Amino acid sequence: MSFIVRQIAKRADGGDIIRTRTLVGTAISVGRGTDCDVQLADLGVMLRHLRLTRLASGRVAVEATGGVPVEIAGNFVQSADLDPASSPTIDLASHRLTLGLGEAPGSVTVTAERVIPASDAADPAAETGIFSLRGTMLGKRSLAWLLVVLVLVGGLLLPWWLAGSRAPPPAMVAAAARGDGTAAPAAPIPAGFAADEVWTSGPLSSAHAGLAHDCGACHQKAFVSVRDAACTACHTPAATPDHAAPARMTRGRVTPVGLVADLHRRVDLPEGRCASCHKEHEGPRGALMVAASFCTDCHAGLAGRLRDTALANVPGWEGHPQFRPTIVTAPSLTTPRFTRVSLADRPREASGLVYPHDLHLSATNAVANMAQKQRLPVSGGALGCGYCHTPDSDGVRFQPIEMEKNCGACHDLAFARDGGVTRTLPHGQPAQVAGIVRDFYLSQALSPRAGVERIAFERRQPGQFAAAQTAALRLTGPGEARARADAAIAAIFAPGGVCADCHGVVDTGAANAATRFTIAPVRLADHYLPKGAFPHKRHLIFDKATGDAACTACHTGVRASKVSADVLLPAIATCRQCHGEPDSRTRVAAECSTCHGYHGAGDHGGDAVVAPARLAQGHRLPAAGAPRNKRAGDA
Amino acid sequence: MARAAISRAPVSRAVVRAPRDTAHEGFLTHRRGLWWKVALALSLVVSAAYALIDQSPRPNGGTALGYGLGTLGALLILWLSLLGLRKRIITRGAYSLKAWTSAHVWLGLSLIVVGTLHSGFQFGWNVHTLAWGLMMIVILTGLYGIIVYARLPEQLSANRQEVTQPQMLEAIRALDAHLDNAAQPLGPDDAALVRLSLEKTDIGGSLRQRLGGSYARDGNARALAAVRGEVERQRLAGKPDQRLAQILFLLERKEAALAQARRHIGLKSRLEIWLYIHVPATFALLAALAAHITSVFLYW
Repeated sequence: MSFIVRQIAKRADGGDIIRTRTLVGTAISVGRGTDCDVQLADLGVMLRHLRLTRLASGRVAVEATGGVPVEIAGNFVQSADLDPASSPTIDLASHRLTLGLGEAPGSVTVTAERVIPASDAADPAAETGIFSLRGTMLGKRSLAWLLVVLVLVGGLLLPWWLAGSRAPPPAMVAAAARGDGTAAPAAPIPAGFAADEVWTSGPLSSAHAGLAHDCGACHQKAFVSVRDAACTACHTPAATPDHAAPARMTRGRVTPVGLVADLHRRVDLPEGRCASCHKEHEGPRGALMVAASFCTDCHAGLAGRLRDTALANVPGWEGHPQFRPTIVTAPSLTTPRFTRVSLADRPREASGLVYPHDLHLSATNAVANMAQKQRLPVSGGALGCGYCHTPDSDGVRFQPIEMEKNCGACHDLAFARDGGVTRTLPHGQPAQVAGIVRDFYLSQALSPRAGVERIAFERRQPGQFAAAQTAALRLTGPGEARARADAAIAAIFAPGGVCADCHGVVDTGAANAATRFTIAPVRLADHYLPKGAFPHKRHLIFDKATGDAACTACHTGVRASKVSADVLLPAIATCRQCHGEPDSRTRVAAECSTCHGYHGAGDHGGDAVVAPARLAQGHRLPAAGAPRNKRAGDA
Repeated sequence: MARAAISRAPVSRAVVRAPRDTAHEGFLTHRRGLWWKVALALSLVVSAAYALIDQSPRPNGGTALGYGLGTLGALLILWLSLLGLRKRIITRGAYSLKAWTSAHVWLGLSLIVVGTLHSGFQFGWNVHTLAWGLMMIVILTGLYGIIVYARLPEQLSANRQEVTQPQMLEAIRALDAHLDNAAQPLGPDDAALVRLSLEKTDIGGSLRQRLGGSYARDGNARALAAVRGEVERQRLAGKPDQRLAQILFLLERKEAALAQARRHIGLKSRLEIWLYIHVPATFALLAALAAHITSVFLYW
């Protein structure tokens, strides 16, 4: 009865050292402790780990004595019976025991061997692994490949494959066609994302925000710059007419020279495209943000290239020529003549109207007294500017002056009382006036009625008024009526009469009183600077002055103006008090577009030679075929 | 006369400049700082152009100056990325690797100015800003690299104290062998603590441990704390177990050896980490640059 114990140790060169001992007895102990029969220097092994007992049957009983199970044939067990003939193995921590039959009868061999090596192998690879980041981080090369693939796929290939249709959304084109041609209203950015949006160079303008996911709406062909056709699909040419005739614009434009221009030609970036001025992907104001230099590129030296132009060169805001208001130089109800005269040339207007501003804006005279009595809006005791100059709905310009509305409260044309009815002469129709006056006197001669009295326009003397009127209407017959009527007509039209207060009256001397007097035609300019827009509503405060004081702060000559020939517009120097060049830090920037439009004849004629007919477009002329009896003040 | 001659001699000697030892001139000040001067001049010229040239309607990559800056920036990036190829071929003189590296560093820094002005300060979620962002990552990691190259080698050599890397590992291995031997007579609980130190100690550890230097959860630290507590308890109770006290001594020595190795690892990691970002980000930048340039002309 013996155990033959063979302990195998590894040599440094890889060979084995086998120590064999024979232990006589029926049982041996295995463990880390020095008192064990088989001592295993393995901290995973218990001090007394297991006991092997030789049984009478020839088998070996295994019993874990350290409280820790052992592994036999893949199972962790506390005890087992093993047949040494089948060479069973027992695993404990890093060691393995293999049983076997010894050569001597009844003997059992126990081979102990470390099967899991201690981790003290000193190899250079381990050193690199410990001291370098190579094993800790993703390698430079793999990370580089990974990132390159990610960037190229996500930033170039996927957007290319997934790019949408190369046309404007049909719904948007249809909406633009249905509308007034000014394209669909600004839309919020719709939800979603298009792969090619990663190529955007910045947010779209608010007007085009609805196209945020439709790159192909404008970028219709790869490697070809955005063409006008993409714009005009919605912005029809009717809604955005040319600035001037294309041929004239071509002549007026500076032919770009130099490296950049040459490059532009070579890479197919033609001049004069919509996108030449309207730069997109520049943020909410982008597409409308046109640099002033785009205008001055042409206008700084336009007169030199377009010899027949009537426009002065405009090198910039500080070099902007003096205003040249369009004033009336020959009033006419049908064919008035408008002329542009520079404010520097002391323009005199010939509107045909007699209107002294100073008289009407005095705070101490009869006008002021009457305005107060009539409860008209007064400012500082004087009639306010706004009584006649009523802002239009945009607050940009003013409603036309009308005799009845703006003058009639004081300058009333009542000429008789007929019972409870006040008979009033029609304004603007001298022949009708003569007829009405005649009819009035004749009817009083033929069929006098009580309660009818004449109201004289002449200044009356206090106390004699009623008696004079009653006597005046006692007519002897048609002959006297005719004579009295002609006298009354002459008095109405005569100097000092009601008409001559405001109008020039021509006495032709004709025998017929109905055609004897003609009124000089009146034509009021209603838009002195039709090529620009001055939003009055944004200028209601000037240098801390408000109300009428703000008006006269710019229109300085108004309170002293004695005649309507005065052109009371402020010169451009007044604008420059507040407005400076676009890059000004101390004054409000004045871009060209602050006052001027570009597309459309309405806000900016554009064409250099301004024909009188074209110029008149900005004015409210009576439509052809309309009755000509409109009042002069309604022009 | 003789006195004058004598007194003049040392003066003239002091004026004569000793031949510069170019071998010991760092790449940052190569050729008396030629490249930082070039880079500074480039940045100033580019900034002045940006400030003075009217770019309408607003500055960005699409104006004439924008295209110019973009071309300059792209060429710079391509040339800068060639250092990876160039550094594998070492030569001397004007085109020495040191000259090349000096130019790489300083021109790379001036790229911050060129690239950012090219953008016109317009940033968004797109490939263009991606390229700018990657460029900035590359430049800033490079800047970090220069700073650690200038400062850390001194600390590295102070920490090593003439010990080589293999020697550091060897010291730890020897302590492990001692621990293994000394633990053989111990009971299972104490043996388990020693095994914790032997088997669960990761000298380098994760990236975070390498850079942060916190190894409190490591096997040896935990074993040391437990054994120290046990020894303290025994000491208070009476006579401590000498075998365990020996283990404590060995664990403490191992902790000290580990601390030195880990300081070394921490410094080396900081010297290396930036290249693990700098190089892959460079390649990502080249890809983003390709996408940026292609997409600009694709959707012109």
